[in-house]
Formats: sequence, structure tokens, C-alpha cells
Amino acid sequence: MTLTRLILHNYRNIPTAEIHPEAGFNILYGDNAQGKTNTLEAIYLLGHYKSFRRGRNEELIGPADRHCRVAGEFYNEKLTENVCLTISSDQKNLQINGKRPQHSNEMFGRFPSVLFAPEEVSITKGSPAGRRSLIDRALCHTKPSFLDQARAYQRCLRQRNALLKEGASPVLLFPWTEELIRAGALVRLARRQYLERMLPLLREAYGEICAGREIANLVYPTSYDTFTDLAEELRRNLEKENAREKKYGMTMAGPHRDDPVFMVNNRVLGLYGSQGQQRSFILAFKTAQIRDLEQETGSVPLLLLDDMTSELDRKRLDFFFRFLLERRGQVFITCTELSPLQNAGFNNMRAFRVQEGILCDY
Amino acid sequence: MVKFTPSFNRLVGELAKLPGIGRKTAARLALFILRQTPEESLALADAIKELKERTRFCSRCFHFTEDDPCPLCTDVGRDDQLICVVEEPQDVIAIERSRSYRGRYHVLHGALSPLDGIGPDDLKIDALLKRLQQNDVKEVLLATNFDVEGEATALYLAKLIRPMGVRVTRLAHGIPTGSDLEYVDEATVNHAVEGRREL
Repeated sequence: MTLTRLILHNYRNIPTAEIHPEAGFNILYGDNAQGKTNTLEAIYLLGHYKSFRRGRNEELIGPADRHCRVAGEFYNEKLTENVCLTISSDQKNLQINGKRPQHSNEMFGRFPSVLFAPEEVSITKGSPAGRRSLIDRALCHTKPSFLDQARAYQRCLRQRNALLKEGASPVLLFPWTEELIRAGALVRLARRQYLERMLPLLREAYGEICAGREIANLVYPTSYDTFTDLAEELRRNLEKENAREKKYGMTMAGPHRDDPVFMVNNRVLGLYGSQGQQRSFILAFKTAQIRDLEQETGSVPLLLLDDMTSELDRKRLDFFFRFLLERRGQVFITCTELSPLQNAGFNNMRAFRVQEGILCDY
Repeated sequence: MVKFTPSFNRLVGELAKLPGIGRKTAARLALFILRQTPEESLALADAIKELKERTRFCSRCFHFTEDDPCPLCTDVGRDDQLICVVEEPQDVIAIERSRSYRGRYHVLHGALSPLDGIGPDDLKIDALLKRLQQNDVKEVLLATNFDVEGEATALYLAKLIRPMGVRVTRLAHGIPTGSDLEYVDEATVNHAVEGRREL
């Protein structure tokens, strides 16, 4: 999968741009606050339809018009496909090959890209929501139907919370609890299955980064791996929280509160991990995610690397460059300095200079 | 939007309230009506008037009807001991189209949804329970939708009805006819496996 053309119109600080990226390495180079990450974000939008930065639609739209447009042309196995995303303050309009997709299955996993941004390193120490989201976003690409499952669970959760808030009777609560158990067990099952498959890859990558001295682990806090057992477990979780649910007026157990534990040498990374271990872990997670995606779907995702050189030290950078050189596939890298990348030995590399919202060949 | 005569604008406004009709389509429809002969356009107005005057809910099943009880409730060829519970009148039409069901119906007019403030009292549930008490019903087939709200409504009804000694069944769902197993998601396969049967 290669992005062969990227067209931006009134997107953040970029009035208009058209670039023709290389099939291999593409460097977006320039000073800070010139539009490098914005360009990377635009490419991310073409596969995810949602930004990795928080914020409202308005923030994506430049000052020239009331909407912005991100369009891309992808080339995969002799097939050229067009994606065009038009965003206005209240809606997003997506067209794939000139047609609106009818179902989320047609959208997700079709133009996969994997992002590695410096702020993700803090996920290991941050709130459980960040770790769940890291897993869910990775999992969506190999299993697009997960999105519907997660939505159904969220919907049921909101319905049940509405009842809990008004202190509804057990009779009224019962059907929503049953539905929550079913939908929740499916979400936990999907996460478990994904992690089970990618954990060996994660361990292997972590071993490569730190020369086998440490062992990484990722533990999802459920004890079972079949749908029936997970459903019974969630039922017990909820029964245990019965009193607290009444007190706080919301659902206190379930996949929306699970805390996946990231570990190195059997110690919890969030509590005891050094900055270096956290970086290695996220790097290993991303590497494993990419390898898994390639094994599972056979398609090679685009890699979007935001300001790698700032967050990774020499040793980890060397590992990652080696990994990048070994794999085929398209890579986009933002950086403020070209030299570390020029010395890394990338061939078929192309650099674009980003300055005040203008993209040009370096 | 081009402003036309006041009566034209009024009609456009009314038509634009209909589902799936925007201002542009409404204007097109209004222009079409304007060009029709008086007889043709009055026939439309009369059809709407007649529909509203003559249609009401059936006092037994709450389906739309002109005669109370409705033809579905008075049809002697139907099984009185079997009631199919659906969310909306259009669900009755969908099941009738299949010609696979020969029992009675009960329309709830919605599904439970605490977020929208819809509880059991806002649906025709009391009337259903009364029907079950007063008639010799052997089986209730729950045919609410398969979204979160429909499933919860089915679970709620099942819990109420089962103690009355009435058999409760749920519409089976699983692999759609004519589809390949490999493209069906796990949730559906899971349901289909649970609901498997002897061949």
C-alpha cells in the first residue's frame, strides 16, 4: 500500500498543497510549528477518518473557507484508489472512489496506517483509558467489526448509566445488565484475542531493542478467554460492584474500566518503569502491531513517525531504523534535522521541506 | 432558496417536515403539485385527509387499522395462542410480507431507552400483559429489533411473561441467507452457534 498523491486544501495552516510521495521513505523536514505534524495528521485521517489529536472539526479548517479537504490516491497491487474527506464544522463527508461508503467495514482497515508520536510514550504511565485506546486502535485494523461491538457496548453502557443515575429499580435495570454483560464480554474477548496473538511479537521486539536483557509483558485483567467464561466473569464483577453502582449512579465494572498492565521484568511500568523502558515498550508495541497487521491482513501499512529523533535515544533509534530498513512499505517521518536520517542509510528517500504551511521538494 | 408565493412557501415548509425530504426536494414536489390539474392535487390532499380521519390504533394489537379490531385480530384463520411482539407497525408489515407467520401481533410502539426517557409505561406493555391474562395464549414470540434497545426490551418482557406460564421465544438471528460464513462477524456467528439446530 502506497500513498502516491496527497492533496490538501485549507487544512489547518496549509492553504493548498499537492505532493507525490516516494514509495519508500518520505521526510517532512522543517522548523517547529510549520505544518509537519499537520501533514502527517492529514495522512492519518485518510485511514482513520478521525484525528489522533483531540479537538473539534473547526480546528482542522483553515481560515480561507468554511470547510477543508484532504484527498489521497493509494496504490496497492496495481489498483489505484481515491479517498476524499471533506470536513466542515458539523460534518465529515467521506468518498472512496467517488462513492460514499455504506458501512464501517468498507472504511476501516482499507488504507491502514500506524502512527508513532512522541506523546504516546506517556501512555504507559498515564490513565488506563490511554492504554485501552492504544489496544483498541491497533485491534480495529485487523478486525473492523470490533468497532460495531465497541459502539454497541458504549450505547448499552450509557443506557444503563442513565437508569443508575435516576436510581431505577432492579426490574428495570435487569435487561440492561444482561445486555451489558453480553456486549462487554465480546469487547473483552476481542481485546484478549488480539493481545494473545501480538504478545509474542511484542516480547520479541522488546528483546531486540534491549538486547534480550529484559522481558516485556502485557496483562489484560481478565482470567478467561472464551465468550461464556468472560460473560460469567463480568456478571460476577458487576455483582461485586452492586453497592458502589447505586452510590455513584454509574457502571463500575466492565471493559470501559479495565486497566491493561504494561510490565517489564514483572514490574509495572507505570509505577517503576524508567523513561527508557517506557520508550522501549511503546516502540516494541508499535513494532509488534505493524508485524501483526502485516501477518494478518497481508497488506503493508503506512508508517507515520512524528518527531522520532526527539524522543528516542541513539540505541533505540538504531533499532528502529534497522526495523524500518528491513521492512518494505511506505514511511513518513517528520523531523527538524535531516542529518540523522541521511546517515541512517535509507535509499529511495525523498525529503519535503515544510515552511509556513507550504510543502515543497527539498 | 427562492421565495415564491406565500402559499407555495407554506407547502414547501410542510413537505420539508417529511422524513428524507430536504428543502430542495420539497420545492420540486411543490412545483410538481402546482402543475397538476386541480383534480389530481386535490386527490392527494383528500387521500391525506382520509388517512388521518379513518386510521387509528387497533384496541387489541395496536397496529394501525381502519376497523377496530383490525383484520389481523379478527382473521379466523390465525392462531389465537401465539402472539408476536414487535416494536413498530412497519415490523408487522415486514413479517406479513414473508407469509411465514400465522399468529396474532402486538405492537409496542417503541423500545426501552432510558437515555430518551422511554420506560415500560411509555410502551404498550400493560396492554400486552392484560391480553395474556385474559386470553389463552401459549406462546409469545419476541420480534423486537436486534440492536441494544431491542434486545433489552426482549429481555425485560421475557422476565415478565415467563412467570405467567407462557412460553417465550425470540426470533432467531444468525447468518443471512445466501451469505458466506467467512464474512460474518463473530457476534453473529456466536448467535448462530447458540441457536443451532438438528438437521
